[in-house]
Amino acid sequence: MNLLLQRLALIMALIPHAMLSHAEEATDQPSSLVIFSATDTSAMQPIIDAFKHISPAIKIHYHEFQTNELFNAIQQLPEDQLPDLVISSAMDLQIKLVNDGYAQPFTDPVTETLPHWANWRNEAFGFTYEPVVMVYNKPAFQGIPLPNTHEKLALAIRSNNDFFMNRIGTYDIRLSGVGYLFASQDEINSSISSRLKENLGRVVTNLHCCSSNIIEETASGKLVFGYNVIGSYAIKYAQTDPTIGIIFPEDYTLVMSRVAFITRQARHAENARSFLRYLLSLEGQQVIADKSGLIALHPNVKGPLTYSHLQRDYPLRFKPIPLGPALMVYLDHLKQRRFINEWNNAILYDVFVP
Amino acid sequence: MTKAVYSLQQHLITRTVLLMIIVFSVLSAGVWDYASRAADLSYNRLLNSASLSIIERISVQESQIDLDLPYAALSMLELAPDDKVYYEVIDHTGQHLTGYRKTPSPVDYQPHSDPQFFTAKYKGEVVSWVVQSKLLIAPAANGWVVIKLGQTRNARNELSGEIFFSSLATLSGILLLTTLLVWLGVRRALQPLSIISENLKNRSPNDLRPLNTPAIKEVVPLVDAINSYQQQLLHNLDTMKVFIADASHQIRSSLGGIQGQLDVTLQASDTEEIRSRLINIRQQHKKLTRLTNQLLAHALVTHRSDSIEPRLISLNALVEALLTETVRDQAHTQIDFSYTAKTDDIRIPGDKVSLKEALKNLLENAVRYGPDINQIDITLSPCDGNLVEIIIDDSGPGIPGHQRRQAIQRFSRLSSDVSGSGLGLAIVETVIQAHQGTLKLERSPSGGLRVLIRLPGAPL
Repeated sequence: MNLLLQRLALIMALIPHAMLSHAEEATDQPSSLVIFSATDTSAMQPIIDAFKHISPAIKIHYHEFQTNELFNAIQQLPEDQLPDLVISSAMDLQIKLVNDGYAQPFTDPVTETLPHWANWRNEAFGFTYEPVVMVYNKPAFQGIPLPNTHEKLALAIRSNNDFFMNRIGTYDIRLSGVGYLFASQDEINSSISSRLKENLGRVVTNLHCCSSNIIEETASGKLVFGYNVIGSYAIKYAQTDPTIGIIFPEDYTLVMSRVAFITRQARHAENARSFLRYLLSLEGQQVIADKSGLIALHPNVKGPLTYSHLQRDYPLRFKPIPLGPALMVYLDHLKQRRFINEWNNAILYDVFVP
Repeated sequence: MTKAVYSLQQHLITRTVLLMIIVFSVLSAGVWDYASRAADLSYNRLLNSASLSIIERISVQESQIDLDLPYAALSMLELAPDDKVYYEVIDHTGQHLTGYRKTPSPVDYQPHSDPQFFTAKYKGEVVSWVVQSKLLIAPAANGWVVIKLGQTRNARNELSGEIFFSSLATLSGILLLTTLLVWLGVRRALQPLSIISENLKNRSPNDLRPLNTPAIKEVVPLVDAINSYQQQLLHNLDTMKVFIADASHQIRSSLGGIQGQLDVTLQASDTEEIRSRLINIRQQHKKLTRLTNQLLAHALVTHRSDSIEPRLISLNALVEALLTETVRDQAHTQIDFSYTAKTDDIRIPGDKVSLKEALKNLLENAVRYGPDINQIDITLSPCDGNLVEIIIDDSGPGIPGHQRRQAIQRFSRLSSDVSGSGLGLAIVETVIQAHQGTLKLERSPSGGLRVLIRLPGAPL
């Protein structure tokens, strides 16, 4: 939590000044659209470009944040500096913001194709379908059976301590909101998550801020295994680097969705609606599948990076994280303190102390 | 055609519809109340389960109150999928422990372990809350920990709306059906009326049969009344026919007799014979004159009784004048008249002309139908109840009891050997009835006829 607070202080020092100029600029132009997003600009850029192509009049001001920074910024900024659209992969934080009343409803026929778990109150909308996967270094695993469930991973670590020692990577949930979300969802969905954590701690798991770091280090051979990384990044990486293997756990594969909502205070609500409509439409989803490297949610979108494709290749395992107030449980600060403490005690287990 | 003031059918149906609207409004209010309470009850239970599951995860650890918020608590609230959830835990010192800040409390909340439900606005939305407390007894923390859990009302409103509108649909169906049944019932109930009126309308004027008695019990009295009224009219018509037939027969036969006598007289050459014929003709003519006079008198009194306003008249003076006239006319006969008035000045409200005509008829009858040596007594006396009594006695043969009723009817003469119009007593009765009096035929002390008339006296 201290780290989070430090980051918040940093953000508060930096963001308002940076935002102020943009906000003023945006206020002056009714054709603007201010987006605060915790998704790589590189992933969002193709969508923004495609949208600009069909709505050239709308000037998009896109600002990238870390998930926690974004959450704090929305809560701290004065109303007139709030963006029109907020996009983040931290589903729990997005739900908290909506529950706090920062969102306005968006009712449109385009939302009808969404599965019910990806729409809360017609205010928060999931627009991607990104499995949470395990990655491994293919050469290192030659001749070794792959742990394709959470249970098998725990067993494999226990029975082959030396092989995994210092060579497994996962999120540092104290730094990453998405990592925290994945860990808490493991806790909810799996009865063996504590055992798995203990075992991860036993082999001195490396902790990282982001999926891409874990994937890169696994590809480089520094790590042999990455636990709970964002599937879309892994698939994209694997397309160019054959050393990366991807496991969609067979017992359950969590599915994360990036969540967008229009702020209640939006000054360009109509533009925000246009953008969100495009984001959820078949055309927008096709752009996501083809160009963004994220995975499209729309069932009718064609291509490898789509919901339908994944369902066909890896049936009967996907467990989307539903949007709803239950996501706020692990944001309760007592719960969060308790969970992080437990996680610390398990993961940061010192093997050398008897 | 008579203009209808209102339609019974419309009236009944309008009232039923109005009643149904009132019933509908009252029931709607009831259903609305029920629907909101049912929805609140369901979701309050959910809310309470969640608050219970939270409260049992409150613990004291190392002199600190800790809460392990259970995932199930909020995930069960997702049964209301579109509702926001707020919660706050306040520790035994009244400090915010976790959750949302500054959530509302019920007025004068005293911590207790039973749940308390209330509705209050939070963050600009109407929120249903449950507040529940847990008593901590530990050296480090001693007191009530309060948990407040709130949920917006979308699901409740949706559920109560669903209950309300489905009940309302059923209710409107029932009420519409009821109205339809009432409409049919009213139409059915009023149908006999239209059958009867159709029946009457389609009748030819010559069809004088009574209406068929219908099968419906409630309509029988109406048909009976119509039939009885028709019978009365027919009877009156018959009487009128007989009257006209009788009158024309009387007049014709008199005229025929006179014509015959005149023809015979024209043939005669002997002065004596002519004279005796002329005497016959004179007799016939007298009879005809009397008949005509009586017919006119009858018409006159009938007309006057309908149209003349009664005035106070002196009965003494009337009878005396009439008696003087009669005595003078009958001076050549052996008929004695006596007149007794108990009081000098008897006044009654009435029509002098009609009354005089009636009394004159009675006196003439007494003379005509009595024997040659006759005693006729007239008595005037006031009697009980502000009535005035007029008695006319004669010493003739009288009328036997069983014929007295018939005697009063028009053209009914009890014997054909004496000339008479048959209208006398009928005229008398018409006049007496017009004066609200009574007419009785009795036996006189001398064995003849007594005519007893009672008339209402002057108002006191």
